[in-house]
Amino acid sequence: MTDVADRAPRSSPSGEPAISAWGLTRAFPSGLALDALDLEVYPGEVLALLGPNGAGKTTTVRLLNGVLAPDAGSSRVLGLDPATEGHELRHRTGVLTENAGLDDRLTARENLETTARIRGFDRRTARQRTDELLERFALTERADIAVQGASTGQRKRLALIRALLHEPEVLFLDEPTSGLDPAATRDVIALIGALASEHGRTIVLCTHFLGEAGRLADRVAVLHRGRLQVAGRPAEIAAQMWTGLPVEVDLGGPAPEAVVEAARSAAGVRTADATPAGIHVEVGGRDHLPDVVSALVGAGAAVFAVTPRPPTLEDIYFEIEARIAAEEGRPVGATS
Amino acid sequence: MTAPATRPSAPTRPTGRNWGAIAAIIKKDLTAVRRSKAVMIPMLAVPVLLLVILPLLIGLAARAQTGDMSSFLASIPDGLSEPILALPAEEQLIVLVNGYLLAPLFLIVPLMVSAVLAADAFAGEKERRTMETLLHLPIENRDLFIAKLLGAFLPAVAVSWVGFLCFCVVANTVAWPVMGRIFVPNSLWLVMILWVAPAVATLGLGVMVRVSVRARSTQEANQLGGAVVLPLIFLAVGQSTGLLLLDLPVALAIGAVIWVLALALTIRGARRFTRDQLATRI
Repeated sequence: MTDVADRAPRSSPSGEPAISAWGLTRAFPSGLALDALDLEVYPGEVLALLGPNGAGKTTTVRLLNGVLAPDAGSSRVLGLDPATEGHELRHRTGVLTENAGLDDRLTARENLETTARIRGFDRRTARQRTDELLERFALTERADIAVQGASTGQRKRLALIRALLHEPEVLFLDEPTSGLDPAATRDVIALIGALASEHGRTIVLCTHFLGEAGRLADRVAVLHRGRLQVAGRPAEIAAQMWTGLPVEVDLGGPAPEAVVEAARSAAGVRTADATPAGIHVEVGGRDHLPDVVSALVGAGAAVFAVTPRPPTLEDIYFEIEARIAAEEGRPVGATS
Repeated sequence: MTAPATRPSAPTRPTGRNWGAIAAIIKKDLTAVRRSKAVMIPMLAVPVLLLVILPLLIGLAARAQTGDMSSFLASIPDGLSEPILALPAEEQLIVLVNGYLLAPLFLIVPLMVSAVLAADAFAGEKERRTMETLLHLPIENRDLFIAKLLGAFLPAVAVSWVGFLCFCVVANTVAWPVMGRIFVPNSLWLVMILWVAPAVATLGLGVMVRVSVRARSTQEANQLGGAVVLPLIFLAVGQSTGLLLLDLPVALAIGAVIWVLALALTIRGARRFTRDQLATRI
């Protein structure tokens, strides 16, 4: 779990955005998939598009890469309009689809060389580039074996190689770690981090794995049923959502009611609740922590540790979900 | 695992038709089909049955026959029966079956091969969930359509022509003791091979392109498109019962009608073959 405030931003929004969308809307016979999306992603930035299944993440990628046409609104990616200049744009973008999209009957090399040839590489360059990347991604031993027998992790890596064959300026990664075991997930996350930080590539990462987004993204955008709920740096979003500082106090066991009451009466304390390990309080700021500790000690509690816990991306995400559920008048977690 | 560091030399971006990309997709599709027993076995079984085993059996039967064909030939239209009745009795069965009756049945070969390959190329991409990957690549809609079309059309015509060559060799060799001469191809067969077979292959494609837009699997596409074989069966039954005499002018006319139908279907299919349509139905 990554705190939203403990990682320096990879890049600062500056200059022209690599990706802009204004009022991007798309409906299917089954309903509205994307509703007036406004979005900006700056060069070298990693943006995580978060949301449950059906939130509109994949539709967003398809619209931004010119695969789908918008019903309303417009967008620019690398200065090009995906709706009218999609062909030119797709020379400069790479996409990892949620399903690896490899032909099982072909070998890894055949899958990759086909893509390279479609991308305009001559036969020799296609072979060289494929060999080079297979080696770099430790897949050389699988090069001439049909993809059918490859593990999910190997498939994802192959699909990632395919997306990187032409060194794209913008990379769309749709659920890059879904179906992977923990070790493969770690490898893929490390690789994506390297792709972003070492090469200044703009990355749009669609995921519902919040840990992954927390580790990789400079900014996040949360989609729900096609609508953008919030976008920004996680710390900024957290600051908008909560003005206080959550703190975990270890008392060696659940706080008795009298201790909880004592905490509530301390200066700067907004909320206080017993937890299995002690007490959780939300204070106005770090300055109030000594008062909280004094109040607890004064009430007879033994304080073993006081740990400020800034909100995580999970906190932000589930708070947004809870607020949406409250607006819709349904219990949190129930399907809308 | 480290991220790739070097940018490859800039790929060429051709203008007009991108034949390199088209060739790459055709090669990919054919390689994949070649490795799929589920596609290859039915695709080759029918040509082998129709163009090798059947003429072999007819030739062997003719060599052993003692019966008289004249009563059967008298029941079919004069235009077909007269030239055959003029032949020696032992040649009549071979010429009737291998020279005339098999000709319309042979059209099942290009139709079936093109339909099976087109279903694999269009609906199969959806079924294997590889279509979206293609849609995210820099290939124009038209080039993708042409690649898929040629990837089914060229093998269908090739299988038909190679099958016909095999048929000629088998039919003439087995019947040599009876015929003592090369009797196929005759003019009807040449029209079938060079004019009607490519038209039928295109018709199979046109139907499958339309059907595959809606179908989500190869099996579904084959079921929906299977009805296209009915006119050919009617043609074959018509020929064998004498209801429809498929002589040279009729074969030329039927070929022209099939070409018009096939091209109309294919052109309409091409117009609807857009990324947006395909991505909507993935």
